[in-house]
Amino acid sequence: MNAEKPELKKLFALSSDGRKYSFTLPLKNVIRIGKRDYNIELREDEKYGIHVLWKNRRYPVEIVRTKQNRYEILFNDISHVFTVETPFAMQRKKVLHSGKGKSDKLVVRAPMPGKIIDVIVRENSQVLRGEALVILEAMKMQNEIQSVVNGTITKIGVKPGQNVMKDDILAEITVK
Amino acid sequence: MKKIKRILIANRGEIAIRIMRTAKAMGIKCVAVRTAVEPNAMYLSMADIIHDDDEDASEIPVFLDVEKLISVALATKCDAVHPGYGFLAENAYFADRCQVNGIIFIGPSHDAIYKMGNKTVARQIALKHKIPMAMGSPGSIADEDEALVHATRIGYPVIIKAASGGGGRGMRIVRHASEMEKMFTLASREAEKAFNDPSVFIEKYIENPKHIEFQILGDQHGNIIHLGERECSIQRKHQKLLEEAPSPALDEELRKTMGDTAVQIARAVSYYSAGTVEFLLDSDRNFYFMEMNTRIQVEHPVTEMITGIDLIEQQIRIAMGEELKIRQEDVRLTGWAIECRINAEDVQAGFAPSPGRIEKISFPEEPGIRVDTGVRAGSSIVASYDSMIAKLIVTGKDRHEAVVNTKKALDKVWIKGTKTTLPFFRMLMRNHLFQEGTFTTAFIEKDLDKYYKHGEYEEMIAAWLATKLFVEENLDDKKNNISFDQGREITPWLLRKRLTQF
Repeated sequence: MNAEKPELKKLFALSSDGRKYSFTLPLKNVIRIGKRDYNIELREDEKYGIHVLWKNRRYPVEIVRTKQNRYEILFNDISHVFTVETPFAMQRKKVLHSGKGKSDKLVVRAPMPGKIIDVIVRENSQVLRGEALVILEAMKMQNEIQSVVNGTITKIGVKPGQNVMKDDILAEITVK
Repeated sequence: MKKIKRILIANRGEIAIRIMRTAKAMGIKCVAVRTAVEPNAMYLSMADIIHDDDEDASEIPVFLDVEKLISVALATKCDAVHPGYGFLAENAYFADRCQVNGIIFIGPSHDAIYKMGNKTVARQIALKHKIPMAMGSPGSIADEDEALVHATRIGYPVIIKAASGGGGRGMRIVRHASEMEKMFTLASREAEKAFNDPSVFIEKYIENPKHIEFQILGDQHGNIIHLGERECSIQRKHQKLLEEAPSPALDEELRKTMGDTAVQIARAVSYYSAGTVEFLLDSDRNFYFMEMNTRIQVEHPVTEMITGIDLIEQQIRIAMGEELKIRQEDVRLTGWAIECRINAEDVQAGFAPSPGRIEKISFPEEPGIRVDTGVRAGSSIVASYDSMIAKLIVTGKDRHEAVVNTKKALDKVWIKGTKTTLPFFRMLMRNHLFQEGTFTTAFIEKDLDKYYKHGEYEEMIAAWLATKLFVEENLDDKKNNISFDQGREITPWLLRKRLTQF
C-alpha cells in the first residue's frame, strides 16, 4: 500500500506573509539553526496542557483553527498561520499564479462578534486608508472598522442593527 | 460609629475577591451574588454566604439593579455594601438608596458621586476653586452648531466628552470643523448607550500628554490626604493597559503641587473614602484636572505596593466613621510597582475581545509579585463582562528593577484557552521608550508599529509544529488512502486529540 503513496522528501510551511520553511521527511524532533540541530519536544501533561520544550524552556502551544492544509499555531501566546505544501502542490501553485494577476479584492471581516451600529460607506463609494467603514459595537465599545487600503467599495455585507459573528464579511473593497 | 459586620459584595470577578480578602481579615462576613452567567465563578468560593440570583435573561444584570441589590442586602442582613468598580460604583442614586435603607455604602457620599460624576458640574466646581483645567465649554452642549462655536473659540483640536462619562467611552477627538458633525453624533450616541445620558461637552484636546492620577483618602471628619500618583499613560483608546507607581515624570516638587491640588479638589466636594483625581500632564510640565473617579480603581494595587496601605481596609474603616490614622507626612513611597492588565484580548487583531474558557492558568509565586485574579482553570471569560483575566503586579527597588522583574515574571505566566495581552507586555518591557519612561498616552497609537514581537526562531518552531500536524494527519502509516494534496476539513478538537497521541 505504501507504494501508492507518492515519494516525498520534503514539506514546505508557508507563513501568511510569505516566508517559507522547509522540513525534510521523515520529520525529526529537531530544528536546525545554522549548522546545529536543537531538540524540540511536543508534550502534554495535566499541569501545563500541550506545550513545547525548547532550549530548556517550556512554551505553551495551542491549535486555534485549521482549514485543510492551513494551520493556526499559537506558540508562546502569539499566533502563526501556515499552509503546509508538498513539493507537487508548490509547483502547481506557481503555475496557477503565473496564469493570472494578483487578486485586487480585499474582504473586510468582523474582527469580533458584535452589533453593527452604523454603516458609513455605500456601495461604489471611494474609500481612503484609515477611513471608517462601519461602526461595530462589541463589549460595550463602539469600534470604527477602518479601511486598510485605498479603493472602491464593491459590496457591503451588513446593515445597521445587524448582529455579526467574528469573521463575517462586512465589506469588499477593490484595491486601487 | 457603626461597626460593619456583614458586607454585600455588589460585584464579581477579581475585585469581589480583593474586597473579600480584606473584609475577612477584618473579621467581616461577606455575601456574594451568584449569577446565571457564571454560576461557578471563583469569587463565589470566597464568600461566607451566597445569594442566588433568579435573574431572567430579559432583565438588567443584577449588579446594575439598584432595588434588587438593596433587597438582597436587607434579606441577607448586610449592614454595608461594597460596589467595587464599574457597575453601580459611581451611581449616586444607588449610594442614596443604600443610605435610605440604613445600609452603609462603602464609598463616598452620594452628593460627591453626583458632583464628580457629572463632568460639567465637576468642571464648574474646579473652575470655582481655580484648579488648572483645559479650556472648554462651560456646560454641556446641545448640538454640533454649538460645538462648532466653542471649538472655534478654543481652537482645534478639541475633544468631545460624555458629561456622565469616564473610561474612554463617549469620547471623540475633533481636529477639523468638517469632522464635527460626525464626531458629535458618535460621541453623543455612545454616551447615551453607555451612561443613559447623551449630553456631551467640549474641551481643548491636550496633545500627547501623560495621564497622571492621584490616590486620595478622606474620612468623614474632614481629613483628606493623597497617597502619591499613578502613571497610566500606557493606554489604547483611553483604556488603561499598564499602570505604575510612582511616575517617572514627577519629582518631589511637582508631586507636592499636584498632590495638594488633588486634595483641594476632593475637599471642594467634602470627599471621603478612596478616590482618584486624574490629571493630564503636558510636555512643559503643566497639569490639567481631567476628572475625579469616586471609587476604588482597577489599578489601586500599585499604590498599595509602594505605600503599604490597604485601600480596601481604609474604605471600610472610613465607612464605619473611623478617623484616618495616616497623616500626609506619614505617607512614604517606597520602591516601584508595575501592573499589567492581562486581558482575554487578541493583540494581533487590534486587541479584539477573545472570550473563551481558561484551560490552564498559573502565575509565578515569588516575593514582590502580586496577582489579583478572578479566574481559575475551568473559568470562562464571558462576553457580557469585561475581558480581564488577571492583574500582574510586580515590584522592584526602583523603576529599572521593576521593569526587569516584570519581564521575568511575564515569561512565567501560563494561560491556555484564550488569547491574551501577554505578548503586548512582553514586547513593551523590551521597548526603549518604555524603559526610558518618557512615553505619553499617544505611545501605543504613534510610537509602536506592532503590538507584539515574537522571539527569534519562534516562527520556525511554529512552522515545524504545523508541518508536524500535517504529517500526522496526512502521512500517517496507519491510514492509507488519504490524499495529502487535497487535505481535509479537520476540527481543532480532532487535532487536539491527535496531538495527544504523538
